[in-house]
Order: sequence, then structure tokens, then C-alpha cells
Amino acid sequence: MLKVVNLKRQFKSGDTIVTAVDGVSMTVPDGQFVSIIGKSGSGKTSLLSLLGALDRPSSGKIIVDGQDITAINDVQLNDYRARTIGFVFQNYNLVPNLNAIENVMLPMEFIGLPKSDRLKRAKLLLEEVGLSDDQAKRKPGRLSGGQQQRVAIARALANKPKYILADEPTGNLDSETGRLIFRLLHDLSKKEKTTIITVTHDLEIAGKTDRSFKLVDGRITDK
Amino acid sequence: MLIARQTVQDKIQTTKASIGNTVTIQPAGFNSFSAANNSLTTSQLNVVSKLPHVTGLIETLTDRLTTIGTVSSPRNFIGQSNSTNTNQTSLKSPVKLSRRLNRGGNRLFVSGGSGFQLPPNFSLPIVIVGTNDPVQLNTANGNVATLVSGKFLNGNSDNNDAMVSQKMAQVNNLKLGSTFTAYSTQLTVVGIFASSSGGTNNVVVVSLPTEQRLSGQAGDVTLAVAKVDSIDNLSSTTAAIQKALGSSANVTSSTDAANLAIQPLNSVSKVALYSLIGAIVAASIIILMVMVMIVRERRKEIGVIKAIGSGNLRIAAQFMVEALTLTVSAAIIGIIIGAVASTPLTDMLVSNATTNQTSIGNRFGAGPVITRHFGGGVLGGLHRGISNIHAVVGFNLIGYGLAAAVVIALVGSALTAFIITKIRPSEVIRAE
Repeated sequence: MLKVVNLKRQFKSGDTIVTAVDGVSMTVPDGQFVSIIGKSGSGKTSLLSLLGALDRPSSGKIIVDGQDITAINDVQLNDYRARTIGFVFQNYNLVPNLNAIENVMLPMEFIGLPKSDRLKRAKLLLEEVGLSDDQAKRKPGRLSGGQQQRVAIARALANKPKYILADEPTGNLDSETGRLIFRLLHDLSKKEKTTIITVTHDLEIAGKTDRSFKLVDGRITDK
Repeated sequence: MLIARQTVQDKIQTTKASIGNTVTIQPAGFNSFSAANNSLTTSQLNVVSKLPHVTGLIETLTDRLTTIGTVSSPRNFIGQSNSTNTNQTSLKSPVKLSRRLNRGGNRLFVSGGSGFQLPPNFSLPIVIVGTNDPVQLNTANGNVATLVSGKFLNGNSDNNDAMVSQKMAQVNNLKLGSTFTAYSTQLTVVGIFASSSGGTNNVVVVSLPTEQRLSGQAGDVTLAVAKVDSIDNLSSTTAAIQKALGSSANVTSSTDAANLAIQPLNSVSKVALYSLIGAIVAASIIILMVMVMIVRERRKEIGVIKAIGSGNLRIAAQFMVEALTLTVSAAIIGIIIGAVASTPLTDMLVSNATTNQTSIGNRFGAGPVITRHFGGGVLGGLHRGISNIHAVVGFNLIGYGLAAAVVIALVGSALTAFIITKIRPSEVIRAE
């Protein structure tokens, strides 16, 4: 279970202090598919970065399975990111000079999996997200947006994380491909019992999730 | 630069090692050209040979002979007059210097920019060396002389036997048993030797008593080389010899001579070292800048890799490996190019340095040409040996080269690592 208690994130912008996340509290039960919606600048991505330990909050707590991740050190945070969290970004963020298989193998390297196991699992995952063997050997530059996002999802799943954090996963895709990617994430959450927290401004997608939080000016206004 | 420095250092070591433990004794104020040469005497040197730690004493008396019908010096040069010169020989010198001299470009004979006018019948004087130990002919001048045919003459018996160089024998049509005249006396060739360089081509060797009798310098010696039992006793024995001979002799140990001779090499070595340090610093800065540029370009990639669970250390290590690959491959290419190019480079550095020193030495007394042909100075031989230098790329050199590459890579990627730790994934991923 993921529990957020009075989370705040403030940035200094010149002389003024900008509060991107302003006292957010929420609870996400295991295995749920949750969406966070809001206009751009409402603090969605900031909140997601805090949940994924890419950033540290100014105050508040994020309790993941009983452990407060705002209070752990950098090495433990790396481990948290590698094992507990899987990230899917709007612009895929694959490593450009590695091919699809190598991109999927990368997070497994960080947890010390032997190479043969990494290769086996990467191939399996790419098959699961619907990439052909030929496409799996291509570098990201030679894959379409949808294919790249499939690779990114396979990479997010590599270390069997309990949580997948997705930042506008369909934002750069046409509506049909976006629907396919959404369905893929949805099916995975059901099949692997993975908790998925996705940030989106697509109300159609938000409507299909188990739960939806609306963010306005860094605060949750609606459930 | 690394190769040049290493080569020179090796040469310094081998030069020092090859000097051995000898002490050179020359008459005080001895000058090859001086008409009023002082000499040491056999009786003085007998004292030296009885000193503790002295295991052997090679005594030589050197003189110059003019080929009959020629002159061996420019007119009125050093006050020598041909009409009173009885030191004549039937031998012709195998050494031809005329072209170099006429060109006027030979610095050895040039003083203040003008050359000497040479008479048309000029011929280089023949050097006659009387020695008590013909086997050790090479000791005095740094040359390795080996017997080609015949036998070594007995250095202590007074007879009319002589040894000539192979070149000398060719030019004068001499074989074993042939005769020639010197000091109006007929000498018989009993041995022919070859020398490793041209230094002894112009030399006739007779026994010490023979030369003393022929030249009318009974009991005189112009150069003696004492052998000391071990290098540890060298300086004390040098002092003892100097004390025994007093102010009448210049006593120099082989290490003194070696130090003097390797002085230019030391300066080359220093130049090479400073250049090397400069090159390493410059290379480090270049690698640093290249790495900083690479990291800046791949900022986003680093952020992503951090976001999916990699630590700073792992990423910094990856960039360090990249820097290492870059520098080590550059070092390997450098070593290969260096191996090809360093011999000419080292030669250039060394010949510049030794030429400078030779021309300075020229202003005092004996010039190098005379020094060489007299076989009179240990320095002459050493200079020749030092100029003859070859760069060899050994395993230790490759090791040093690679070590330098590693240092450059580590220094170059230090700042890179710092930048990597400062990259925050949330900022990088957001900025699109």
C-alpha cells in the first residue's frame, strides 16, 4: 500500500517560492490502477517524481509498504527505484545507443541479475508487450512512438516492481495507439497485480481507471 | 617524450655502467698542441701501481707523425715548423678530412667564423701510441679494438714491432711482416686491428719502451689509466693517486668523466621530462573538457539511468571506463608512433645538446678532432658513445605510457564524476 501524508514540494524561482505540491494526502491500495488528472502546471509530474523518489519533498511523508521513503539514504533510494518502482515516461526516455533488448536488460543489471537471465527475461517481456524479434534488435531511433513506449513498459516491468508510475504514457501517441498502450498497462495491472499510478490529462483514460485524483494548484480537490 | 626520456635515461645508466672503475692520469696542463708538453714519468707511475686497490696500470705515450712529403698542420699553426720536424713516417693517413675542411663549414676547426687556410699538401698526422698493454687499447678512448690478424705485441719489450689499424693497412698496402718507417726507423707490422668506430683508424700502436726510445722521450708517459679493484674504492683511490703524484698530474676517475659526459644527456632527460609533464597536463585538460562535453550531451540519458535505479558510482565508473578506453587507445597509438619517430627525435635532442658542449670545450685546449685521433681523452670516446643512441620500446616503457594514460583518464574524469552526481533525474526528465 502506498500512503502519502501532507506532502509538500517547494521550488525557489528567483525571489518567489513556488509550491508545486501543496499538502497532498492520498492512499493507493495494492493492485489498483489509479490516475492523477489535472491541467498542465497543476503539479502532476512533481507529485509523480516524489512518489518515484526522483526528487525529495520539502515536507511530508511517502509511506510505501510501511517504509517512509523520504527518510532513507541515497543508496537505499537507488534500490527503491530499481526494485520497487517502474517508470514509464511521456517521451519514452530509452537509452538511444542501446537496442530494445538492451534497454529492457538495463534495470536488471542494477539489481545484479546474471546476463543470461537478463536476456531471457528481456525477450519474454518484449514478446509480452507485442514487439517482434526483429524490432527487439532495433535501436530506439528505428522504432515508432508506440513501439518505443512498449519497450519502455517492458523496461518498467523488468524487475517485477510493485508499482508502476506512468507520466502521460499516451501523451505523445495518436489516440488509437494511446488506447492500445493504455489497454496494455491495464491488462498488466490485472495480470501481475501491479499498482499503476498514471498521470494524464486524458479524461477518457482517467474514466477507465479504478480511481482518479484531480490535482489543482498542487492540491487534490476531487476523488 | 616519454620514449625520448626513457632512451636517454637508459643511455645514462649504460654509460655509467660501462665506464667501469678506472682512474685517468694525465700530466697537469697537458695540451695536445703544446710544444712544451709536460709528461709523467714511468718512475712516478710505479708509485701509483703500488698503491692499494690499484689492480692494473695502462701507460701510454702518444705522439704525432707527419707523412713524408706533406705537412700535417696549417702554416705556423701552434708554432710548429716543418723544417725541424723529425717525426716523420712513410705511412699515409687513411682519414680524409680535406673536403670538410675546404668547405669551411667544419665547426671543429672554425673559430670566430673563419676557417684556416690549409696548404695543398696537407695530410692529417698519424697518431703513434706506445702502450704497455696493447690488449687494452680500447680503454683509453672508448673504442673497442679487436685483433683481425697477427698478434698483440708485447707492451713491455723494446723492439721495432707495430700494430696498425685495418684501414691503415689497406691504405698503405701493409700485411703482417710488412715494414714502414717512423722516426727514420724501420718498424714491422705484427698485428692488424679493427676498431668499432673510425676513432682508431689513424693509429699505429707500438710498445711503450719502443715509443719512448723512438721519440726520444725516455721514461715519459702522456696518459695512464689505473684500474681500481672495485667501484666503491674509486674515489678514495683517485684521491690517493692525486696525493702521490701531487700537482704534476690531473687525476680524474671514470665517474667524474662519465658525469661530465652525460651532462648533456641529463639536460635532454630534463627537457624530455618537462615536456612529458606538460603533455600529460595538456592531455588531462583536453580529456577533461571532452568528458565534460560528453556528459553534458548525455545529461538526459544519465538522468534516465538514475531514474530506473542506477547509482552515481556506477554511472561515473562507466564514464571513467570510456575515458580510459579513449586514453589507453591513444597511448597505444602514441607508443607506436613514438617507437617510429623517437629515434630521430632523440638523436636531434642529443646531438644538439652534445654539439653545444663540444663547441664550448673547444675553446679550451684540445679540440675534439685531435682528442679523437690521439685517443687521448676518455671524454672523446664517451661523446661518441653517447651520440650513438637508439630508442628502444620496452615493456616498462609501455607500462609507463599506459600508466600516464590512466592518470590522464582519472584526472580527466574526476570533474565528470562530480557533474554526474549533481544531475537530478526529475529535472532532466521534466525538461523536454
